[in-house]
Amino acid sequence: MTTLEIPHVGTFDVDVWEQGSGEPLLYLHGYERHPGGAGFLTRLAADRRVLAPEQPGYGRSTGVEAFVDIHDVALFHRELVESWGIDRIDVVGHSLGGMFAAELAVLAPQLVRRLVLVDAFGLWLDDEPALDPFGPADEVAAAKWHGEPPAQEPTNFVPDPGDPHGAVLFSARNLGSATKFMWPIADRGLRRRLPLVDAPTLVVHGASDGLLPVSYAAEFTRLIPDARLAVLPEAGHYPQVEQEDAFVSVVSEFLAAGSGS
Amino acid sequence: MKFHWFAQQYYTKLPADFGDTVHSSWVTPPISVADPQQVGEDYHLYLRLMQQADTLGWDSLLLNEHHQTTLAMTPSPNLIAAALAATTENAAIALCGNSLALYNPPVRVAEEIAMLDCLSGGRIIAGIVFGTPMDTAFSYGVPPIELRERFHEARDLIVRAWEAKEPFAFNGKYTQLRYVNTWPRPIQDELPVWIPGSGSPETWDVVNALDYCYGYLSFSGKQSAAPIVGGFWDYTESQNANMNPNRMAFTQIICCADSEKEAEAQYADAVKYFYRQNPTGLEFATPPGYNTLPSIRANLERARTQSAEERMKAARGELSFWEYDELGYIIAGTPERVEQRVRELATDLRIGQLITCMHVGDLPEEVARRNNELFGRDVIPKLRDVWGEEEDRWTPKVSQERVAAKFGQGAGLPAA
Repeated sequence: MTTLEIPHVGTFDVDVWEQGSGEPLLYLHGYERHPGGAGFLTRLAADRRVLAPEQPGYGRSTGVEAFVDIHDVALFHRELVESWGIDRIDVVGHSLGGMFAAELAVLAPQLVRRLVLVDAFGLWLDDEPALDPFGPADEVAAAKWHGEPPAQEPTNFVPDPGDPHGAVLFSARNLGSATKFMWPIADRGLRRRLPLVDAPTLVVHGASDGLLPVSYAAEFTRLIPDARLAVLPEAGHYPQVEQEDAFVSVVSEFLAAGSGS
Repeated sequence: MKFHWFAQQYYTKLPADFGDTVHSSWVTPPISVADPQQVGEDYHLYLRLMQQADTLGWDSLLLNEHHQTTLAMTPSPNLIAAALAATTENAAIALCGNSLALYNPPVRVAEEIAMLDCLSGGRIIAGIVFGTPMDTAFSYGVPPIELRERFHEARDLIVRAWEAKEPFAFNGKYTQLRYVNTWPRPIQDELPVWIPGSGSPETWDVVNALDYCYGYLSFSGKQSAAPIVGGFWDYTESQNANMNPNRMAFTQIICCADSEKEAEAQYADAVKYFYRQNPTGLEFATPPGYNTLPSIRANLERARTQSAEERMKAARGELSFWEYDELGYIIAGTPERVEQRVRELATDLRIGQLITCMHVGDLPEEVARRNNELFGRDVIPKLRDVWGEEEDRWTPKVSQERVAAKFGQGAGLPAA
């Protein structure tokens, strides 16, 4: 657990999953939970240093009440990366973490070398209203996956044998924190700022994401000056889980192409 | 004890199969089922019944705020209150309450309540509520995680707006105003404030710190409410806070008739309509972030006094009329039986403010009028001794005096 103090903003206890060495990569997890040491993260860490902090208000990590608006989140991530003594980093953000990653790239262009947005929230299209990610549980579960859901969705939850309600409270805390930036619509004005993203960007999207249609990824690609789109077939909201090989390969290739720049 | 007249202002002409076929009677009920002409007639029905209650000794006429639902077509309780303020004399008007987090700037609520207090001659009870998840998170789009903070900031602003002698600036997280100077101000120096809740310890902390009246407004009756109401009093005692029973408001459906047989014949269908026609989409009732973790844990660990099967049958209208009565969902029968059951309820749960629900579902007006007459004339006067010696700072002085003047010394005021 890392403690980060940002004067006049707040104090944050952050649970950071870290593995590997080499060029640093910041992974920002999605709206449901931190994936723990999931397969795709371990594989990305094979030839780089992966730092995957848990968002404030998720799991054991604290400080979400200090956030007034989305700019505080971007500031938090900038301070967190700088606290590691890192001055340039690749950033991969998934789902809600994609919104946060894009905001970081806008606020701190000097810090973000290459940006990968995976099934990212942050935009709204009137012509194609996205499903409510807090809607009926069975509808959301069906929308998230292309195929059958995995037996165990990747998670950093550690059951406490002494607390029968631990899993319920873990999920309630995580999703409650997500409402700060996703309720009632996951749009906090990112559209106006995406044209200011300097970093070369890869937009990755599961072709059958029922929470965010592919048109949302296309819109990200259109708005970010240097962006290209990679749609992964047979994947939903979690392409890094459903198509781990394809995901690791397309992301590694994109990051490697920019090495040395 | 005090009596507050209430009805959920239900749409009375729902299709018979509405409860079985619609996904949710909250947030997304199909508007096609409601004829605006009929809605108008329903409003007039509820107004007439409340005007009648004003002549029968009720201490207040109570209104609530809900949005996008067939259960209670009162998105603005203040509008109905305005009609009552101008057409009633004795009873207080209890707003129970305005959902503070939904209004920006919240001084709008301060203004409307002040207007109503002036219009009614100082008869307003200013209930304030977080609002249900369906109302706040879904119909009004407030991020659940911000709801409580928005509510408390608005509460702070509104109370200051009523009391400040000079214009002041308010620099909040959600509301910024350079000049707060609410016109008009209420007649009452200190408006009685009620905060109904659903058993969250954080709400208990607030009502105890400010010595407000708490309310538990369920329609599931004594048996299922006992752990929460009892929990409030245990907590209050442990905090050495005010144990006055007039700090507890509780809702109870009342079905009075001349005989038990008539009670069943007159009310059974309407009671079933009330429960059966109100399916709530699970996702609308439990958005993440609405309840704090300690509240969720308290709720998970709270003893269940009713089986899940009983609760489900109750919600589907599958209990018999007398099963609803036995479990406390309703109190039905002759005035004598109703009196005895209300006395038990108020004494056992330490309730000083009883919110009597006198009309349910699609109950015919003449039955509700008879309910008012029987309860008002034959039950209320006999129950005035319950907690009668306790001070009551949670209902307006003016209505206490007027009700006492008209309906006898035992009525509105504590025994001298």
